[in-house]
Amino acid sequence: MNEASNPVESNHKPGLQTGRRLAVVSSRDKQQTPSPDALVEMMRQVAQDRDRQAFALLFRYFGPKLKTFFLRWTLSSVAADDLVQETMLTVWRKASYFDAERAGVATWIFTVARNIRIDHLRRQKDPSALPPDAETAMDTVEDGMLDAERDAAVRNALTALSPEQQTIIRLAYFSERSQTEIADELGIPLGTVKSRTRLAMNRLRGLLEDKS
Amino acid sequence: MTTTHHATDETLMRYAAGTLAPAPAIVVRAHLASCPACRARVGEYEALGGALLEETEATQMSATALSDVLAMLDDEDAAAPFTPPPRAPVEIEGIRLPDALRGCDIGRWRWIGPGMKMSRVGVPQDPHANLILLKVGPGRALPDHGHVGTEFTYIVSGSYTDRFGTFGPGDLAEMDEDVDHQPVVDNGDDCICLAAMEGKMRFNNLIGRMLQPIFGI
Repeated sequence: MNEASNPVESNHKPGLQTGRRLAVVSSRDKQQTPSPDALVEMMRQVAQDRDRQAFALLFRYFGPKLKTFFLRWTLSSVAADDLVQETMLTVWRKASYFDAERAGVATWIFTVARNIRIDHLRRQKDPSALPPDAETAMDTVEDGMLDAERDAAVRNALTALSPEQQTIIRLAYFSERSQTEIADELGIPLGTVKSRTRLAMNRLRGLLEDKS
Repeated sequence: MTTTHHATDETLMRYAAGTLAPAPAIVVRAHLASCPACRARVGEYEALGGALLEETEATQMSATALSDVLAMLDDEDAAAPFTPPPRAPVEIEGIRLPDALRGCDIGRWRWIGPGMKMSRVGVPQDPHANLILLKVGPGRALPDHGHVGTEFTYIVSGSYTDRFGTFGPGDLAEMDEDVDHQPVVDNGDDCICLAAMEGKMRFNNLIGRMLQPIFGI
């Protein structure tokens, strides 16, 4: 688990470009894009029937994407694999808490992975820290106001952003870098990063509020 | 509880993305518990995270990743089913505090000046977090201060007024660095607030500077 301190990996700074270079996508993975409803059905089978085949399907679909997500936080390949496994085990354990009325499967799994990453950070700072108390972690899904329709609206809003705006938003979710570091990486002034972020946020808010 | 002062969208997005530091995240979570509007926005930003995850390219996992996890499911199923731990109310000397503080180490009130008490809050996720509870008497001014980094303040009870308006229970005040403000507690009750700073506080007057070592922030 301490692979994150590997100097080779941390020099690597997996960003958008390097992330792409790291990616090894098999054609099989590319073809398998389950519909949101199909994903919900898999989750139902996992929660109610403890169906391992459905779980394996979810793992094959989300596992490699989750790995990219964890790699973006300058984790080594081994550490990223570990965290993907931890995420998917949590999905198995807490499957009955998934509520399709409140969120899509990808959104729910994102929040599980996010909490695992936060907890991983905590354990790095304090190795004696107790194992995660899932309920005190940042669980907003369980009492939040999520719904699956909103997931679709958000997805559409995201694709309506310009490529630059999408990049800024993606970096906000998938990297630890400050706006200053993002500016360095994109080779643009800090002020531009700030204004581009604000514009992207405003555009996103506009698109979401049009929908509702 | 009707809230009139909210978190900024940037903060809510950082909260949803999981990039807000632990102490500010606790303050934001306290506000979310009393603010359906901000909760809905966090839901949207979590959905954005889900959408970004789905469009992320795949990275090949180790050959045994799936079989390893499937083997672990046996242990999972043998273990007791997941049940959330009991939720005792969080208090300081009999005063109910936001549930967001569950798991934190809450000390006693300490006198830090006339009509002013403070309790440092230990955050298990971040030993260096700057999170404090403040209790300030009616009519009292909080030390005039600016900050290095953003300050997040959640009003637990009572209210105060500064040049940005009146902040009451459930409200969240988010003050950027380079903003100087001097909140004064409104008449009536003590004002109890929960404050997190991303960086150190910067006091502008003598009393504030004398307090700095006591705050330790």
